[in-house]
Amino acid sequence: MPETKIQLGSASGKAIVAEHLGKVFNVAKGMLRRTKTQIMAVKDVSFEVGYGELFGLVGPNGAGKTTTIKMLTTMLIPTSGRATVLGYDVQKQVTQVRERIGIVLGGERGLYTRVNAVDNLRYFADLYGVPVNVRDKRIKELLTFMGLWDRARDRVETYSKGMKQRLHLARGLINDPELIFMDEPTIGLDPEIARDTRELIQQLVNKGKTVLLTTHYMFEADELCKRVAIIRNGEIVALDTPSGLKKYVRDASVVEVEGFGITDKEVAKFKETRDVLSVSADLGESKQVLRIQTPKGSEIISEVQEILKNSRIYDIKIKEPTLEDAYLRLVTT
Amino acid sequence: MPQVLRVIYSAFRMAMLHWIADPQWVIPNIIAPFIFTAVALTLFQGSTGPFGLYAVLGGGMMGMWGNTLYSSGYAIEFEKWQGTLEEVIAAPSKLMHVIAGRSVSNALFGLVNMFAVLAIAALGFKIQLGIANPLLFTVSLVLTLLSVSALGLIFASAFVLSRSALTLTNGLEIPLYIISGSMFPVALLPFWIHPAAYILGPTWGIDAIRLATSQEYASQSFWNGMNWNTAILLDLTIMSLITLGYAALATVLFKMVETRARTQGTLVEA
Amino acid sequence: MNYSQNIRVFFSSAVFSYRAQFSWLNPTMWLTMKFVLTLSQMAFFVFVGLFIRGPSVIPFIAIGNALQTVSWNTVFSVVNITSHDKWDGTLPLVLATPASRLPLFIGRAMVHVFDGMLSVVISFAFAAFIFGVDFGQANALALTFTVLLTALTMAGFGLLIGGLSFYYREPLIFANIFLFTLLIFCGINFPVQDLPQFIQPFSYAIPLTYGVSAARSAIAGATLLDIAPLLGQQLIVGLASIVLGYIFFRSFENVARKTGRIEAV
Repeated sequence: MPETKIQLGSASGKAIVAEHLGKVFNVAKGMLRRTKTQIMAVKDVSFEVGYGELFGLVGPNGAGKTTTIKMLTTMLIPTSGRATVLGYDVQKQVTQVRERIGIVLGGERGLYTRVNAVDNLRYFADLYGVPVNVRDKRIKELLTFMGLWDRARDRVETYSKGMKQRLHLARGLINDPELIFMDEPTIGLDPEIARDTRELIQQLVNKGKTVLLTTHYMFEADELCKRVAIIRNGEIVALDTPSGLKKYVRDASVVEVEGFGITDKEVAKFKETRDVLSVSADLGESKQVLRIQTPKGSEIISEVQEILKNSRIYDIKIKEPTLEDAYLRLVTT
Repeated sequence: MPQVLRVIYSAFRMAMLHWIADPQWVIPNIIAPFIFTAVALTLFQGSTGPFGLYAVLGGGMMGMWGNTLYSSGYAIEFEKWQGTLEEVIAAPSKLMHVIAGRSVSNALFGLVNMFAVLAIAALGFKIQLGIANPLLFTVSLVLTLLSVSALGLIFASAFVLSRSALTLTNGLEIPLYIISGSMFPVALLPFWIHPAAYILGPTWGIDAIRLATSQEYASQSFWNGMNWNTAILLDLTIMSLITLGYAALATVLFKMVETRARTQGTLVEA
Repeated sequence: MNYSQNIRVFFSSAVFSYRAQFSWLNPTMWLTMKFVLTLSQMAFFVFVGLFIRGPSVIPFIAIGNALQTVSWNTVFSVVNITSHDKWDGTLPLVLATPASRLPLFIGRAMVHVFDGMLSVVISFAFAAFIFGVDFGQANALALTFTVLLTALTMAGFGLLIGGLSFYYREPLIFANIFLFTLLIFCGINFPVQDLPQFIQPFSYAIPLTYGVSAARSAIAGATLLDIAPLLGQQLIVGLASIVLGYIFFRSFENVARKTGRIEAV
């Protein structure tokens, strides 16, 4: 039976097309008297991802990243809007979508810990209908690629966090998917392992795969993604390449102030200061760091010194805005 | 192998691997059947009649019930606790087929009780047991296993759809042992309970199994007076039809489970 | 134990909690337990007895199972409390209080003692109205006293099981298994004499055995005086198990203090 690929608008030839996706959850609370409330996790999300692209979806916690991914991977039914993945409708052609995509949902989950790696992969290979003559070879390739082959017959519960993460990633690739969704793939990982994971993701794209990942690490999105969509409160507020997004904050320089004795009071004063576009503060115990976005650049230094006259200033730097600054501006204003 | 069978087999294999990793977890599920059977064995000391038959076969039957009720009933919850439920739902295979594999293995492990009871019966109580018709016995056993597994699927989905259904499992265990005629003929029960017995597929199955084991049982079977082989075939046919009914109901329930998971985001009870 | 092991054992304990008659947490559960479970257990054994030995054994079996229901609440609840502390992590707090520990546990067990007695009363009703057991001759005083003492001594026995259970990784399984074996040892469904000789001493180490026997006599019309010897033996066994249980509990406490392991032994 010929499979029909449903085309949305002019979206032919795109790996992912999302059109006005929305998701409302009905939540019942309370033990005795159940009251129903509605939570709008995603309001209106539209975007497209091309084949072979590494696309990033960034935003604060609760913005709707995970919900969006779950809608695109058929795990949630949208309450509004439509989407196609690899040309198949996520609501009407669920099985076709599931067969062709890989899903990696961050963390060490998704594995049967009392069983070894080979059996875990074999199980999912069977669920995905990976051809039997290919299955065992691919399991070996994946485990070798992930550096797990010498521990392949050990129970997963004996694995370290990083190993579990890599096995989880291998599991997401077991059906050799064209398109892989990753939800916060490096969260909670040690820096070296996170770096290795990012390299792996880059290698996947180099092989021609398409990847959509969510993250709240801006430098990760900056480093990896061809294009980035910033999502906030269930809506996309910006979508561009990383350099495109940085241009958004080109009008401002970032003045980074490192000092001691800076409190919320001073931060609030900065926020009220004219020409300060945004302030982000890292108020540690031994040191505090402020990043002030302003078009005034170095001219703001005198005001900085005035506001911080009761604190100690160690260092003031003028920096180029990063993707993180663009993100902060878009997300906090 | 067709994909559906492959999925079922794979889930079955995974359940086996888990059992090998932790064989002791079957014990709590079959401790009640085991003790109940031991009581029956002690009770029939010095009596005549095919009671040993009832005890051993009934013990196996109750073991299947107990393990299915608790293991299959919690099959989907198990995936949740493992953190694998989302990944399993996300796969193109049907959740019902995955749980079916598990359910079959659960029913199978319930037979462990039968062997435990058999060992005790033979060693401790010096009961002799032979099987009159091994072929029909095996066929009956397999079909009964499938019927119990199908019920396991209903439990698995119902217990996720409704918290009250889950709470009721505690109350369901012993009534199932009674109504299914595992340890004594259904005829002994008040007449108004009989319909409940008849809609349970395995009730017919245990009848067939007992018939296939010993001629002595014939007079207590549902088909008293009928030709032995015909009786067994009748039992198996009725049970198979009921099993198909269970499968149909389970299909509907699993669709509800998946729809709810994809609407609510988690398998949250109503 | 690493994280996933904890989760695994916990969920199995959680499964047990459902099966473990946490009746006071949930009205449906309580009702199911009190009525469905007690009736169906009695019915099962009555029918088995009827099938194998005929109608004459019905009163014996019905009364036996009625008394046995007290053990669900008392033994299991006490074990649940003591092992629940372990899993909840409140045990260090409990061990740390200067209050004498025994009264603490007994206090909590009392609720379940009365709950257990209620189960027995409900079961007697089932025995009388559904299985036709004749309570016409029953000596109310003797019977009440028997039920009360059985509930109390089985609570004490529960402390013994609770004390032992600290040494097991899955105390609830241990208790669950134990609870079921009462059906074989305590003369519930058949006289203790039907058991092999070498097993019988174990029966007489459990308070329930005496209680069941005394209850049967009381229902047949025996007075308090008549059954006093049985009750006296029951009391001794009950006290002995409390003492033993306390010893086990204190020794566990000492082991825990020495090795620094309290949680999830």
